[in-house]
Amino acid sequence: MILPKFEYKKAENIAKAIAFYERYNGKVRYLAGGTDLIPLVKLRLSTPMAIIDLKGIEELKAISHQGGWLLIGANVTLFELKNNDTVREYFPALYESLDATSCETLQMRGTIGGNILQDTRCLLYNQSLEWRTARGFCFKMGGETCNVVPNARACFSNYCSDNALSLMALSASVKLAGPQGERKMRLEKIFSGDGRNPFTLMPGEVLTEILIPMKRSKGAYKKLRVRDSIDYPLLGVAVSIKGNTGKVCVGGIGPTPLVYNLKNINDSTFKDVAEKAYSDARPVSNTTLSPDYRKKMVSVLIQRASKKVLQEGK
Amino acid sequence: MKTMKVTFRVNDEKVTLQVRPYETLLETLRERLDLIGAKEACGMGACGACTVVVNGIPLRSCLVLTPEVDGASVTTVEGLRKDGKLHPLQEAFMEKGAVQCGFCTSGMILTAKALLDRNKRPTKKEITKTISSNICRCTGYKKIVEAVEEAAKKSV
Amino acid sequence: MENEFTTVGKRVVRSDSLAKVTGKACYTADIKLPGMLAAKVLRSPYPHAKILRIDLKRALKVPGVKAAISGFDTYGIKWGVFRYTKDHPMLPTDKVRYIGEDVAAVAAVDEETAQEALSYIRVDYEPLPAVFDPEEAMQEGVSQIHKEFTNNINIHVHIDVGKVDEAMNKAFLVREDTFKAAGEAYAMMEPYAVVASYKNGFLDLWMPNAGPHVRAKALSNLLKIPLNRVRIRHINSGGAFGGRSEVSPGDLIASFLSIKAGRPVKLVLSREENATSTRQVHDIIATVKTGMKKDGTIVAKDYRVVFDGGAYSSTGPIATSIPFYVYEECYRFPNVRYNGYRVFTNKGIRGMYGCHGRAFLAGNEAQMDFMANELGMDPMEIRLKNGLTSGEVTATKSKITSCGLKETIQKASERTGFKKKWAKTQRFKGIGMGCVAMMCGFPMGFRSGSSCYVKMNEDGQVTLVTGVVDNGQGNESLAIQVASEVLGVPMEDINLVNADTEVTNLDPGSYSQASTFVGANAVKVACENARRKIVAIAAEKLGVKEADIGLKDRIAYSKKTPDNKMRISWVVREAFFRGEPIVATGSFFPKIDFEREWVSRPWGQMAGTFSFGTSVAEVVIDRETGKVTIPHFTAAHDCGRPINPMAVEGQMEGSIEQAGVATIMEGNLWEGGFLLNPDLLEYKVPLACDMPDIETIIVSSRDPEGPFGAKEGGLTVRMNAHSAVACAVSNATGTVFRELPLTPDRVLDALERKKGVKR
Repeated sequence: MILPKFEYKKAENIAKAIAFYERYNGKVRYLAGGTDLIPLVKLRLSTPMAIIDLKGIEELKAISHQGGWLLIGANVTLFELKNNDTVREYFPALYESLDATSCETLQMRGTIGGNILQDTRCLLYNQSLEWRTARGFCFKMGGETCNVVPNARACFSNYCSDNALSLMALSASVKLAGPQGERKMRLEKIFSGDGRNPFTLMPGEVLTEILIPMKRSKGAYKKLRVRDSIDYPLLGVAVSIKGNTGKVCVGGIGPTPLVYNLKNINDSTFKDVAEKAYSDARPVSNTTLSPDYRKKMVSVLIQRASKKVLQEGK
Repeated sequence: MKTMKVTFRVNDEKVTLQVRPYETLLETLRERLDLIGAKEACGMGACGACTVVVNGIPLRSCLVLTPEVDGASVTTVEGLRKDGKLHPLQEAFMEKGAVQCGFCTSGMILTAKALLDRNKRPTKKEITKTISSNICRCTGYKKIVEAVEEAAKKSV
Repeated sequence: MENEFTTVGKRVVRSDSLAKVTGKACYTADIKLPGMLAAKVLRSPYPHAKILRIDLKRALKVPGVKAAISGFDTYGIKWGVFRYTKDHPMLPTDKVRYIGEDVAAVAAVDEETAQEALSYIRVDYEPLPAVFDPEEAMQEGVSQIHKEFTNNINIHVHIDVGKVDEAMNKAFLVREDTFKAAGEAYAMMEPYAVVASYKNGFLDLWMPNAGPHVRAKALSNLLKIPLNRVRIRHINSGGAFGGRSEVSPGDLIASFLSIKAGRPVKLVLSREENATSTRQVHDIIATVKTGMKKDGTIVAKDYRVVFDGGAYSSTGPIATSIPFYVYEECYRFPNVRYNGYRVFTNKGIRGMYGCHGRAFLAGNEAQMDFMANELGMDPMEIRLKNGLTSGEVTATKSKITSCGLKETIQKASERTGFKKKWAKTQRFKGIGMGCVAMMCGFPMGFRSGSSCYVKMNEDGQVTLVTGVVDNGQGNESLAIQVASEVLGVPMEDINLVNADTEVTNLDPGSYSQASTFVGANAVKVACENARRKIVAIAAEKLGVKEADIGLKDRIAYSKKTPDNKMRISWVVREAFFRGEPIVATGSFFPKIDFEREWVSRPWGQMAGTFSFGTSVAEVVIDRETGKVTIPHFTAAHDCGRPINPMAVEGQMEGSIEQAGVATIMEGNLWEGGFLLNPDLLEYKVPLACDMPDIETIIVSSRDPEGPFGAKEGGLTVRMNAHSAVACAVSNATGTVFRELPLTPDRVLDALERKKGVKR
């Protein structure tokens, strides 16, 4: 399948990347592993004038410990991150979500930054231009309807990153650098709540670093999918606890992950969260397997993940 | 649109080409270099039939822009045979009957090669996990796993 | 197992493997010819619409475009597999009947230019009401897709044997169930591609196909070019599974573009186009009513099966009948009625498939288990009781010769401990069995037979010329192996020229499971004819009787005194000297009833022989998620004799993926006329991690007619693996399944239904 025309530029550092962004008036896409971007461009869901390759920026590939944080450069591959000793020891939820992501070969190419910033997905969205032209353009494509839910006024596309869920459960933060400068915020804050433009990133911003507080945790990640490799999550649940507190994050069912904070964890905590999440979840028929089923599984997977976490260290 | 100059190594030979900026490595290998072993079976990264090894890492070449491999070292299935001698994986695939229609074969062999290069004696479970990156429609995978096990034995 | 042969029966490395592991094997999309153009097809965005106008003028003006066509540039001839199914013009001029249908095409200097040119083609449509559900499509007053076929009924196969109603009334136990299955995707790894090169009045073509001779004939008719000037050439094929048997609009398009442009044209389909616009597999709704005696004997079967055929006939009656036939060739039905309906809908065209009929086959098997259980019998007993044996005749009058069914049931049961596991019912664990038979060839008129030509060259090397086609299953290697055995030369001394319509002779193609029984048989006959000539000269020269001559490892020798020998190459040279080179032809025509017709006369000998098989699947169900895992799968297949056991195993193992694991995950998803998963991510082809531990058992019933006793290399597993899995899941859930694929949501529903039904 041939790509549409675009220029290719390689950025040596962040400032140069942003400069390219400005030179092309924002009609660019940043390229890391390309496993999310290139398919989108092939489908003509994204038609940038230029693609800016960030893989030459060395500082984005580093992993280090600093002042009570694990700092992960956005260009670190999922495979490398999975094999990092600190991740294995301190952040089991993240280890599990990395191992569950896609397949081994794609883990070696995909970056953690790219995985977090992947576009939301829908069976009727991720199709070729010809297919979508015949069907009609939906909200996410700039049209005026949802092709899945008649009369809907919002986009129900699904956010399918396995790792953002575990990172949020680990209270991770992210650093961004853009034309307006640098900023740091909690990972939850990158979600806009709008499936059409799922992220709050400002024009030209580059995700540069992920920061996880260096505290040992107990955690688990459970993924619902048909095949045991390659498939995106039809539902993802990350649970992570440190002592008496923790978080449960649920994704794959709508554009914004659900995040639940846990305090004073006791025997009924997870059952309560499972019930709440079940009632909060609003999956629609935009994936394989029925939305009713995926909703039911929210409760099942939370209970499974938490069971595993509570048994850890026993 | 202007083409770009890209220089990289393919199967140990240096090549310098003028390519489109929006050209994929798969297209370059197949159309400019006549290395037709890598196949386009889906073009979207879902199947692995286009897998080649770039700087030791097995990549889906349909998702790699050729300008990205400037300065890199690429290995295709055509580069496995050295001095007329087949790579143990190539021999094992033949001997174990792991090849039927052959369309997934070159991608499968390269994915397996990348595994053996970093893990000399993988378990059956590890092999199965690695090759679950590639789709095969014909074989049911059993003989492929056996071939990789066999090749690992022969390589040590 | 004793093996008196040199090559046959051995686990040989296939002749095509080396090219494939070194990346040298050439497939259609790999072909490069001087001056070759790239083609792209404009496809219908409507499921049903009148074509008012097609304007190619602007497209032709795009720089770099060398030709463009629409249906208005063709002869308007409609093609069909049968005289009564000639409904496909390849490029329509009246209306479009499915989203993705080929409407127009261009050929340009490169793919980009061709793609751009498509946007300059103007087509005016008038949308018509479309119909997507086959039951709805058959109702009165619904939009007619083809005016020649009333109520959108493409084919009605009616079979009526014995006295079904009477037998049902007398039966001790009667049960009726309706089963549904989503149509699958072939998902062969090679997307369809064609290269056409028209030069000096000759049209050369390359495309992955299952039968070049049939393809060439169709194109000759459609293009009005004499058959000898349409030459379909040998090319490697990346899997077919029944989906590459018929002439395709792409073939016509590439041909016409090449004729117009005066240059070779290559058309390569994307994965999406392969899914929407080549063949798909039928969705099926099967109502199965069975009557049994108290002792488990089946006395009557009454079937109503609806096949969702999509927009055109394709194989028509063949697809409408095959699931019934593979079943009636396996079991004894004294009274049976079959009403099979193939119905048009405004979706992609559905063809024959290696795993075709899962709703019908798995439904029959699962229902049988539950009826047996009511009668106090287990699945093994009920199948042994009703399974056919050698010498019996099927309901539609096919005689069974070699039959290893019983042995496959027994061996598969033994190996899996079936009886014990079945008796010990465990919640959420199940075991299931599926049996089926497979006709080795079926009536295709004069194309039911195969002819082979062989010559030996002065160095003792062989050139073997046969129409046998290989789509990846190993048929080329099979032909060489058979020749090697008969002629006494190693496989590497044999050059195969196959599937080239200019040179090779008629063969049924790798379609209808005939490649071993018919194709390789013809190879054997030809080589035996050549062998006789070698033996005659050798006997003379060595001074022994002809019966005493053996051929092995390039040597002709006296069996009594092996040192009395000579090189076969010497014999060949002597033959040349005598003006009678070692050259021979040979044919094989199976003994079938040529009066048999799918619709008008559905009885008589279907095939020269049948293969038989039994699969056993063990499943575990996750009670909270409904996810099914298949830890073990055992398949036993009676192939007569395995020519290459490794190749037979390979077929069986692949079938377990494509039919067995497919049962829990494969199915095309539709929204009206839109295929929602025309790709390899959302269409779930099983991966290595999804596969069970597999055990294959080869049973050799030594067919009297097959080459060295061989029949066919593993297809029963493609048609009983789904039954085994569905039966196992039904066993585990305690309720007969209703719909395939058995995805977790469906299985969870079944578990919950069962809970609700408990007293």
